[in-house]
Amino acid sequence: MALPTERITDDSNLVSALQAGDQQAFHQAVREFSPGMLAVARYYLDPSSAEDVVQETWVNVVEAVKKFEGRSGLKTWLHRIVANRCKNRLRTANREVSSEFGEALEPGIASRFESGGRWATPPRLRLEEHAELLMENGALNDCLDKHLSALPEQQRSAVMLYEAHQHKAEDVCNILDISASNLRVLVHRARQKIYLMVEDFQETGEC
Amino acid sequence: MLMCRDLARIGSDYIDGQLSTADNFSVKMHLLMCRHCRSFIGNLRESAQLMKGHADYHLYEEYLRRLESSIDEALKG
Repeated sequence: MALPTERITDDSNLVSALQAGDQQAFHQAVREFSPGMLAVARYYLDPSSAEDVVQETWVNVVEAVKKFEGRSGLKTWLHRIVANRCKNRLRTANREVSSEFGEALEPGIASRFESGGRWATPPRLRLEEHAELLMENGALNDCLDKHLSALPEQQRSAVMLYEAHQHKAEDVCNILDISASNLRVLVHRARQKIYLMVEDFQETGEC
Repeated sequence: MLMCRDLARIGSDYIDGQLSTADNFSVKMHLLMCRHCRSFIGNLRESAQLMKGHADYHLYEEYLRRLESSIDEALKG
């Protein structure tokens, strides 16, 4: 029976193992990096095509990683490859990503001001006072997952790359081919949606 | 003068340190005087924190195994 291999925690050791064609290292990398790669692909393509592109990318990476020089992090490198493959697909099909970035304020927040610009319906709760309790609330976590899944695909991809994968804004803009100000709108709108969801959940106990 | 609605529009820029020095100062002055906006900014910051731990795809096992199989094939050359 094969001994269980240890997880490689250091990025450069992982790269070396991938370059040496270590199967376990590839399996680890698949589980670690595929969610983010899919977030990139879903920004450009429908869910099924996005899954195909991530699969094609991994097959391509088996050879391409041997030439990886570490000028960017491994994650950023993988995300850029996925983005380029998606853009090539769109180009071949003569299609473009339709971009609708809109207003900075969510309608649910915008409607809470009086005409002069002061709060008519001010924030009802201070979430920061409940932060730890919020994180431990299973029902709220489920509700959060549900609302994040319901975000428009572009908002969701931007938020995943910026918030969950901790990419620098500049990298997200490069990967998704958007301006810094458009990224700001996508992230700000998503945060407001989650804020409104938590406020509502806290008040009604319903998702 | 910066109004509450203006501040709400640029709330994430403030949280992420993306504002110019002058705009950052205006927001700080406004926050000193307005408890509603202090709540709004605090809530927005918490919302960002909540998303950090959640905003990721949960990939199903079958798909992950499919990815691993295609890599195994490619490794065999």
